[in-house]
Amino acid sequence: MGKSRFLMVALAIIMLLALSGVVAAQDDVTIRLAGWSSSEAEDNALRAAVDQFMEANPGINVEIIFSPDHPTTMQTAFASGDYPEVFYIDSSKLPDWVAAGVVAEAGDNIVDQDDIYPSLQEVFTIDGTFYCPPKDFSTMTLQYNIDMFDAAGVDYPTADWTWDDLRTAAEALTGTNDAGDPVLGLVTPAELPRWLPFLYQAGGAIFDADGNVTMDSPEAQEAIDFYAGLVNDGFAGAPSAVDSGWGGEAFGNGRVAMAMEGNWVINALNEQWPDINWGVAPLPQGPAGQATMAFTVCYGVAADNAHPDESWALVNFLTGPEGALMVAETSFGVMPARASAADAWIERFGEDMSAFVEGADYAHPWVLPVGFQDFIDAFNDSLQQAFTGQLLPEDVLTTSADVANEILAR
Amino acid sequence: MATTALPAPKSGSAVTVRRILAIIGVGFLVFFAFIEIVPFVLTVANSFKCLPAVQAAPQAFIPLPPFGISCQTETGSVRSATEMTDGIAFNPTTEGYQEVLRQNLGKWFVNTAVFAIWVTVLRLLFDSLAGYALARIKFPGNRLLFFIMLGTMMIPGVVLLIPRFIILKQLGMLNTYQGFILTLAADAFGVFLMKQFFESIPGEIEEAAQVDGASRLTMFFRIVLPMATPALTALAIFSFQGTWNNFMDALIILGGNPDLFNLPLGLALLRGAYGDTLRWHTFLAGSVITTLPLAIIFFVFQRYFVEGVSYSGLKG
Amino acid sequence: MAEMTSATSVQRPVTTMQSKKRSEMLAGYGFVAPAALIFLVFLVIPILFSAYISLTNWNGITPLTSEQPYEYVGFDNYAQLLFREGTRQTDFFKSLKNTVYYVLGVVPTQTILALLLAVVVNQRWLKAKGFFRTAFYFPSITSSVVISLIFMWMFTRGGLVNRAVGALFPDYAFINWLDDPTGVVHSILGLFGVNLRNAGDWATAQFAGMRVWEWISGPSVTMLTIMILNTWTTIGTMMVIYLAALQNIPTHVYEAAYVDGANAWQTFRKITVPLLRPTTFFVVTLGLIGTFQVFDQIFVISSGGPAKTTLTIAYLVYSNGFKNSAMGLAAATAILLFIIIFAFSILQRRIVSERADV
Repeated sequence: MGKSRFLMVALAIIMLLALSGVVAAQDDVTIRLAGWSSSEAEDNALRAAVDQFMEANPGINVEIIFSPDHPTTMQTAFASGDYPEVFYIDSSKLPDWVAAGVVAEAGDNIVDQDDIYPSLQEVFTIDGTFYCPPKDFSTMTLQYNIDMFDAAGVDYPTADWTWDDLRTAAEALTGTNDAGDPVLGLVTPAELPRWLPFLYQAGGAIFDADGNVTMDSPEAQEAIDFYAGLVNDGFAGAPSAVDSGWGGEAFGNGRVAMAMEGNWVINALNEQWPDINWGVAPLPQGPAGQATMAFTVCYGVAADNAHPDESWALVNFLTGPEGALMVAETSFGVMPARASAADAWIERFGEDMSAFVEGADYAHPWVLPVGFQDFIDAFNDSLQQAFTGQLLPEDVLTTSADVANEILAR
Repeated sequence: MATTALPAPKSGSAVTVRRILAIIGVGFLVFFAFIEIVPFVLTVANSFKCLPAVQAAPQAFIPLPPFGISCQTETGSVRSATEMTDGIAFNPTTEGYQEVLRQNLGKWFVNTAVFAIWVTVLRLLFDSLAGYALARIKFPGNRLLFFIMLGTMMIPGVVLLIPRFIILKQLGMLNTYQGFILTLAADAFGVFLMKQFFESIPGEIEEAAQVDGASRLTMFFRIVLPMATPALTALAIFSFQGTWNNFMDALIILGGNPDLFNLPLGLALLRGAYGDTLRWHTFLAGSVITTLPLAIIFFVFQRYFVEGVSYSGLKG
Repeated sequence: MAEMTSATSVQRPVTTMQSKKRSEMLAGYGFVAPAALIFLVFLVIPILFSAYISLTNWNGITPLTSEQPYEYVGFDNYAQLLFREGTRQTDFFKSLKNTVYYVLGVVPTQTILALLLAVVVNQRWLKAKGFFRTAFYFPSITSSVVISLIFMWMFTRGGLVNRAVGALFPDYAFINWLDDPTGVVHSILGLFGVNLRNAGDWATAQFAGMRVWEWISGPSVTMLTIMILNTWTTIGTMMVIYLAALQNIPTHVYEAAYVDGANAWQTFRKITVPLLRPTTFFVVTLGLIGTFQVFDQIFVISSGGPAKTTLTIAYLVYSNGFKNSAMGLAAATAILLFIIIFAFSILQRRIVSERADV
């Protein structure tokens, strides 16, 4: 067989395979629900809820599929054209998946939509279209080590704290521990979503209303000067600077006095560092007031879907007022996305944790347009270099703004 | 080398030099063996700790009684690291193992074994057939085929995930045992290994057999394969271990059906996702359970394994 | 392989010859058929598919069953990676630079160490050979994810490695292994007082999106850590292969050398190493293919950071295809990697066979 003929045959086979994908029609209604496994208790709660749903809706069969690597599993399934009817969507993935046309619009399918926090609805809204109701969410707050604050004689953080208060406290809390290891006031990962609250607190934004990149605004400059300044002055540092893999670990090991993590830190600290005595406050206020980030996941419904009504019924069951209560009662930290279930969550986790819930009122979404991974990478890399003094803070802004403009021009 | 087997050396200084060399050599060996083993000692030690103790410094690795402690106090709160470690000594617990056993571990284990055995058997057959043909039988396209096979090793696997998924979907073999087994049923490395081996053994026996009129296939199974036992052992171990630890192919092919998960997928599921706390002790317990069978197999078969590699045409 | 090329030249119209040839041919195709079919379906077709996708702007998500999942863009993806100034070009050449440093660091190191270890284990007087063999092979049988996680834990700034070194050398300033983008060559130049500002004009000259100074950075500290990890895990396999080859060298060769008065070093240099040349070829080829595609460790440990100093080509393929939603670009990156590995393999083959002729 000649080389070219071989290639022709192979190409013909590929084309056939690529073009002939057909979704098999089914007689009985099976809804596949794809996501990832959380804790044992949360998984069991989800299974129980799904069982309840099936009991209440005879004729609908729900199959839960937990993937060890959800984004990869979903992407391959999307590409093939045969994908689950209902699936988790991390907010950062939504723009890509919507652009690919695989996510159905929510339309008027959502039960009591006003009960869902507006800031979370905004996360899953693209160009004015709302796509999917959130499953649960986390916000970033300021965690502080009570014992270290007491020892240094510093007042605990409050909702009124300003940037200056944070800076002064961080300075006072920086030192060394009994073992002679350095202790920092605050842990500041060199990651875009950790810095964004400061950008919003300064009154800045990544884009203006027309979609132009505004990373070079004076507000952005102020925010980056403050964030990188904490590090350059020695009051803060990345987790690795205090021998840790992430902020929670640095905080748990007592190597920093304050951390800015989301709800996931609750369970991590309770389970791994039960000794630590800690409290929670909102992130400090910047020149333009309060801001934090919301990290959330929604239940998306497949655009190419033989059973849209049954799919929405399931999603509503899981994210409706009752579903939200279930999250509040079984979660290991994440919060229900509905205001009506907020009290149940606070009751379970304690009044001290209410800063997490309050964050929903002024949280900004962690969502960037399609293709912006390059922008995130560029920002993180240059911020890291700004931490070590190889770059100036303003270089971080110009570098990442250039990349953002390049992506928009593609 | 084989120093001691040689006749008595002529001068005393040569003896001293060789002694010194031997001491340096053993020191080098012990140093590297130590480096290779420390992580496993720590893995095993940490798999028997409670979660807070895993994070504690210094890393404790000496188990001390009381054994089998509970990771929670009587009041149900989590015990802190200081209560169960003391310098480099710690009180072991089996909670990590209990937790991992509550998962679908048995099922994952059986699946992994089934996959590994099937893939190994098929590879032994298909790779040796192909390797033999490429080494011994003259047919048009022989060389081209060999180069295509080698070439397939040079493309990064991640880019093939989606096309493979689509093909398996077309064949109706997604989320099936056969889909995973068939995808891996032949590999370029194995064909390469077997080809090298067959090229290294003398052809006279086969020629004699062919005069008898034995067909190629009969001859292959009756005469050639038995001669290839050492190379087949090597291939078997490589295949078994590769399939046992396979994550990416398993994710794409079996990810849609938890009943078909293998151990690597199960372990990844245990790791959780999106900022959930990694339950180190459970994860490490799972790792120990995953690695142990392979370690035993290697220890038992290592002699044949080394022999097998040595006969596979790689000899000096 | 010489015998195969001659196959086509023997074509005489002798009937018995021809029928024998035909049955040989059938046997040949029959024997390779099962393996060839599997390669065709699960490797060759996917590779050709990727090659085709590399000429499109497919995002890797839009279902191929939909109306127009992608547009044909010709060689635009390749142009973006190779010629057009921008992040994609810089990233590609950064990943190429990192990968080449990685390969050049790991392949010789693991080959030499494996050989030396094999020579020692092969000594007749050595006790507990089984133990040593198993100890060295152990990392190869553990899943790379578990290995990488354990490694991370040992190499954190306050981890085992720094503490051990610190205990031996009290003046040692802890190295931040997992998060240090400083290039090793830059550090060495720094010791001699050379830096970007005083190195001269050549250092600031631009080439393929990077300054010459960046090109010569050497692997970063974090990359060095991953190089150590890879060497550590593969050394066992390589050692076992060498060990097997060593056991096949007849003792009388050494005895002759001994009688001739050769010392240990001469024996090693003049006898052992040359006799092991085919094994070395095999080990180096496997090493090249494996190291050029390094992915798992990067994925678990560094995701390409810090400052993209551990961004390798294989990781770039993943990140373009699965994080950046640019599957066409990812496929083009993969094809380029294929070409690079192929070129290196040929080059290596040339070098080894030239040496063998001498």
